[in-house]
Amino acid sequence: MTIEFSVSKRQLEMREAIRGLTKNVIRPQSLAWDRAHGVPEDFLRNFAQLATSMGSSAMRSGLGEEKGQQEKTGGNVGTIMASEEIAWGDAGLLLCLPGPGLGGPPVRGSGTDEQKERFFGIFKDMSGPLRWGAYGLTEPGAGSDVAGIRTSCRKDGDYWALSGRKCYITNGARASWTVIFATIDPALGRAGHRAFVVEKGTPGFSVGRIEEKMGLRASETAELVLEDCRVPAANLLGGEEKYQTKEGFMTAMKTFDNTRPIVAAMALGIGRAAFEYATDFVRSNYALQRHTPRYAAIAERLARIGRNLHAARMMTWRAAFMADQGMPNAKEASMSKAMGGQAAIRACIEAIEVCGAEGTIAKDHQLLEKWFRDIKVYDIFEGTGQIQRIVISKRIMTDLRAF
Amino acid sequence: MISFEPSEDQKLMIESVAAFAKSALRPKIRDFEKARQIPEAVRKQAHELGLGTLLVPEAAGGPGLGLTTAVLLEEEVGAGDPAAAFGFGGPGAFGLAVLELGDEAQRARLLAPYAGADGHSRFGAVAWGEPKALADRPGFATTATKKGDVWVLSGEKAYVVNADRAGDYVVFAQVDAAAGWDGLGAFVVRRADRGVSPTERSTTLGLDAASFGGLRLDGVEVKEEDRLAGGADFGAALVRFFAKQALLVAAREVGLCRATFDVTREYCDTRKAFGKPIGHFQAVAFTLADRAMDVDATHAMVVRAAAAWDAGPEGALSGAARWERDALLYTAYAVSYAHEAAMRCGDDGVQLHGGAGFMRDYPVEKAMRDAKQLALCAMTAEHADQLAAALELGQPLSLGLVLPTPETQNAFV
Ligand SMILES: Cc1cc2nc3c(=O)[nH]c(=O)nc-3n(C[C@H](O)[C@H](O)[C@H](O)COP(=O)(O)OP(=O)(O)OC[C@H]3O[C@@H](n4cnc5c(N)ncnc54)[C@H](O)[C@@H]3O)c2cc1C
Repeated sequence: MTIEFSVSKRQLEMREAIRGLTKNVIRPQSLAWDRAHGVPEDFLRNFAQLATSMGSSAMRSGLGEEKGQQEKTGGNVGTIMASEEIAWGDAGLLLCLPGPGLGGPPVRGSGTDEQKERFFGIFKDMSGPLRWGAYGLTEPGAGSDVAGIRTSCRKDGDYWALSGRKCYITNGARASWTVIFATIDPALGRAGHRAFVVEKGTPGFSVGRIEEKMGLRASETAELVLEDCRVPAANLLGGEEKYQTKEGFMTAMKTFDNTRPIVAAMALGIGRAAFEYATDFVRSNYALQRHTPRYAAIAERLARIGRNLHAARMMTWRAAFMADQGMPNAKEASMSKAMGGQAAIRACIEAIEVCGAEGTIAKDHQLLEKWFRDIKVYDIFEGTGQIQRIVISKRIMTDLRAF
Repeated sequence: MISFEPSEDQKLMIESVAAFAKSALRPKIRDFEKARQIPEAVRKQAHELGLGTLLVPEAAGGPGLGLTTAVLLEEEVGAGDPAAAFGFGGPGAFGLAVLELGDEAQRARLLAPYAGADGHSRFGAVAWGEPKALADRPGFATTATKKGDVWVLSGEKAYVVNADRAGDYVVFAQVDAAAGWDGLGAFVVRRADRGVSPTERSTTLGLDAASFGGLRLDGVEVKEEDRLAGGADFGAALVRFFAKQALLVAAREVGLCRATFDVTREYCDTRKAFGKPIGHFQAVAFTLADRAMDVDATHAMVVRAAAAWDAGPEGALSGAARWERDALLYTAYAVSYAHEAAMRCGDDGVQLHGGAGFMRDYPVEKAMRDAKQLALCAMTAEHADQLAAALELGQPLSLGLVLPTPETQNAFV
């Protein structure tokens, strides 16, 4: 091992190919998708096929990588780089891609072999209708406070009966199945949690409202309602034994160590897009080299945006590198997410300021105003900035269990 | 591959320097500060570890280590005492200036003495800054005029690190007044030369064991062989020199950040208020979490920049054509980030210690003062930002803009 920042020729070619695609195909359609609240199925199908032919399942599911896959795709670091590039083109697209999505990691991490086969199997055939998976943890009464979920589950013969509401679920309405987190007894806290794969069409499982959002409008965010929904016992993720230990809750959390750096990388893609836009704006609107105070201030600002994005990028690379090496990286994953979200939000806000009044005019700078709307959620979902700091705090302070 | 893990060799070196920093530097920081220097015995140890000559090429008797190894070791020294890195013997900025601006023969001739047994008592310095900006033209007031086959240097330089200790200087002077910042020349002068006199050592906010002063030049004669021509492009070489020197300073700041974070974290673990450790209050813990990110991010950025220089055109991630631009950009980013992060770590270090932080019994107030002083060494955050912006915007690197000058903002070199 040595300190090194190089990628294989294959990966480099892949990055160039993705760059060409994002620039020439994805970016030009980005605004239309935003307005239409979705990406056309044809495009999704082609893109998913392309991604698979390039060897990256991560691009298709947006997330996680199995160890054996690493050689081919550049591992987690490769995924991180690809995610940043695609988000540069359009962040919504990544969330829309067919595949298990956020539901993938818990099934991969905790599912039995039979469950993995059954739930991932449906994504193999890409010629049929498009399919998605989803991840349902958040509830109206519990987001950050995961231990506070109230969706109940009760064993009833060969079934479990689930009741409750889930909200803000990405691809919730279109998903073929959703990993739903429920509790056998709220008083037990995390130890009472159970994770189920709930399939579309299960009696008692329905879609509530589809949210209108500030940004990422091409992505579907849905409410899911469970009314005495009877889920086969075979869909309890990992089987009963899995929950004899305190691992139930850890199932939910394991997801995040894998996904946070990827979400951070997506944020950086949007941030970089805004940063480059502002840089181009300055290049074409200022008489460069003229030492006006205004220009110096703008230059310093650009440098600051660029540096903070770079800092966060190094953190995402490092967290992903650690994942590839099998090193525990919960703290580093949270650091990358906290820094990535913040740096990118600042980049999008300041890019508008750098461009001045014009920056907010939709007609001329539509992308800028879109990125401004898209980026904010990256410091909210997958754990808010504050929650990342709690994760980090617990790993740097002695005996800190809760605040 | 992307990897942040040092090699086995590097790990061994880091270990021995860390052990030295822990045993020989850390317990003595207040002594060094009072003495305003590093005692000879410690300098000797540092010299034996090769700390003053890390970058000196093998041809000149040094270990010729890459910048990546150098920043890793500088970080360890910085964690012990960031002032010490300036107070050890060695060529310092002088060495880097000779490496970047000199030719092969000059490198070997000028740097070899520092590898010798008495290297710990030899200092080099760079005389760049000047007390005041010129009102009538861009450039330096100090001039170098060719008379026969020698150059004659006259003027006064300021903000020189180790001015009073150094035996060798690289002095920057105006060769062509009409050319402004593009009309500079670099000359090697020696303390013993006629007309060379250091000005009074300044009392500074921090880094007391280092020494900050100036240099007067009264008709100093320099032979042609002691002019550093800067290769094909003097300006580009000059920017490289400043960038790399600033990166070494940034590496010391990484050490400062880490050490300050560590003692502060420890304090927040043990100091109790309202019935529990203060670190168990969210406002305190989140501040620490933010500083922990500063520690990790500055380290990663400094290492990334150093690795970009070491990789050269062949190993560059973004291709051979852009490698120097990227190495400069990553360096500029790392430098301004480290300057600000060090200040944040020092500031919050004092804050989270409360009143105790203000007392000299604790190391954090020194860290805070050192952080500000470090941020004024080699290149300020403002200059690094101007450099980064020029690179981002694809502008030519105008020296008066991207380097610290009396016209913009002086920095200690
Ligand atoms: C577009 C979008 C897509 C989403 N997709 C999914 C999905 O697919 N699946 C899913 O399960 N969820 C999803 N979410 C939900 C998301 O994960 C939650 O919104 C998020 O975790 C925050 O929870 P909350 O909204 O309940 O906010 P709250 O937890 O109520 O937080 C409100 C504020 O309080 C702060 N806060 C809370 N607790 C603390 C504390 N202990 N200390 C300090 N500050 C605190 C938070 O940081 C935040 O600023 C999505 C959300 C959005 C917006």
